[in-house]
Amino acid sequence: MKGWSALRTALAFVILVVLHYTLRPMLAWRAEPDFLLIATLLVAIRVRPGTAALLGFALGLIADSLTVHAFGAGALGLALVAFAASWLKAVFFADNAALNAFFFFVGKWAFNTIYLIVEHRFTGGELIEQIFVWSVLSAAVTAFVGLAILLILRPILRPSTS
Amino acid sequence: MAPSGRTSSRRDTVLLVACLTLGIVTRALPDTLKEPVAGALRTTVLAPLVALQRDAELSRRAWLDRNETLRAADSVALQASSLGPVRRENEQLRRLLGLGARLKWGFVPAEVLRGRGIAEEYTMILAAGARAGVQPFSPVVSPDGLLGMVKTVDPTLSIAILWSHPDFRVSAMTADESAFGIVAAHLDGEEGRNLLELRGVPTRSTLVPGTVLWSSGVGGNFPRGIPIGTVLGEAKDPAEVWARTYIVEPTVNPAEVDAVMVLRPERRDSSLANVWDSPNAVAGGVRRVVAAGDSLARLRAEDSTAAARRAAQAAQAAVTVPQRDTATTAPPRPRPAPAPVPRDTVPRDTVPPRPDSVRATRDTVAPPRDTVSPPRDSVRPPPDTGGAPPGTSLPHSSADHPDPVQRPLRR
Repeated sequence: MKGWSALRTALAFVILVVLHYTLRPMLAWRAEPDFLLIATLLVAIRVRPGTAALLGFALGLIADSLTVHAFGAGALGLALVAFAASWLKAVFFADNAALNAFFFFVGKWAFNTIYLIVEHRFTGGELIEQIFVWSVLSAAVTAFVGLAILLILRPILRPSTS
Repeated sequence: MAPSGRTSSRRDTVLLVACLTLGIVTRALPDTLKEPVAGALRTTVLAPLVALQRDAELSRRAWLDRNETLRAADSVALQASSLGPVRRENEQLRRLLGLGARLKWGFVPAEVLRGRGIAEEYTMILAAGARAGVQPFSPVVSPDGLLGMVKTVDPTLSIAILWSHPDFRVSAMTADESAFGIVAAHLDGEEGRNLLELRGVPTRSTLVPGTVLWSSGVGGNFPRGIPIGTVLGEAKDPAEVWARTYIVEPTVNPAEVDAVMVLRPERRDSSLANVWDSPNAVAGGVRRVVAAGDSLARLRAEDSTAAARRAAQAAQAAVTVPQRDTATTAPPRPRPAPAPVPRDTVPRDTVPPRPDSVRATRDTVAPPRDTVSPPRDSVRPPPDTGGAPPGTSLPHSSADHPDPVQRPLRR
């Protein structure tokens, strides 16, 4: 990732992180979009898997600081998802909207699944409901919002031709 | 490139394993250790983001509060806007209850069904039909007066024609029964659509604006004593020579009526006295006021007559003591005024009438002002006693007052 491209990606990352702490509380949806995951995936597909894992871990740990009871769960999940996304980045094409949306969907769902399992807050049928109902809905919303953000930030995230 | 790629891959794997290990360790930390780490993150790296989140939460709460406030304001505005009609409906229902209490029996309350079409401005649909006792040609009244007449009756509904219907007729009269006529809709264009007209009033009967018209009961459809309207003025019609026509403002506006009373046939044939301010009640009240005034005038006249009679009796007694011959020539001697004698202690026949002496007495002996002081407005005697000697023809005897209630008022 060249310098200008890295700067634009960092800008998009910051915007998404800020959106996570401003727009999401204002929306307060039951199945809410995860701007942190979108930001992580956007960066993860542009860096090496190890760096992506480190970024995911750091971001997850910061996010976990607001939920002490699940401290570490988000770091673990986001590190895994970021590593996987970076490792699988060759499979996806950045300019394909459907693949990107599916990428966000799978990433969010995987993150929620890891998070819920590690968190140990839900068990049994409640855990299954959270994984297969609310996580799916949240993943769908995240995919939709991520796609919209990709379209909005296209001028920033467009790979440089030089 | 291959060793470099392997190195990178190994480094990525190491980083991943390190992250996973750190994550598991972090997850496994006791809460006493988690909290300081989380607190440190919140107060340093996450502090600006937490501040943003707090502002966002406050903004959302303010937005919700604003919406709640708007909803409350809208609710209050809605309630305020509906308060007027509710108050009006409440007033109407109260008045209808009052009308029902005065009618006492023989009526069917009915709700007026709205949503009428343009072509139905002359009729009114009532939510009461034959099952409730409504019959055709039954009068439809409201607390303000006559509204119309039932035309068609279904089991659960009935249709009434209003006074604005071209076929509507009702026999009307004034409160003092000085004029009778037929009230019908005033079909003179758009302006007169909300008015009535009283036709067939004899030329000799002149009605002043403001005269209230009542149903006269003639014809049998409408009982006597339902208010119809108020005379606005005379409608000049050159073709009418022997009769007058008056424009009448109805007492009831059908558009403002939500509930009515339908009078049943047996009630239609009975009296509606005192249900509304009926003409009989008005006339009776006028008669009572006039009678009270007459009684007071009679009482005052009797007072003055009795005083004059007492004075005359005293003077007569004074004249009869000296010699009769000198009575006409002797100058009147001033005498002390006699004490007034109570009327009941001096029988009338103890003082015989003496025309000659009475004249002298009347000419010479005037009752002192200080002894006989009738009220100034009652000095004038009644007309029929002007030339008669007092005591011989009392203007009012007990027989003149057939009303026994007035007798105890005499002194």
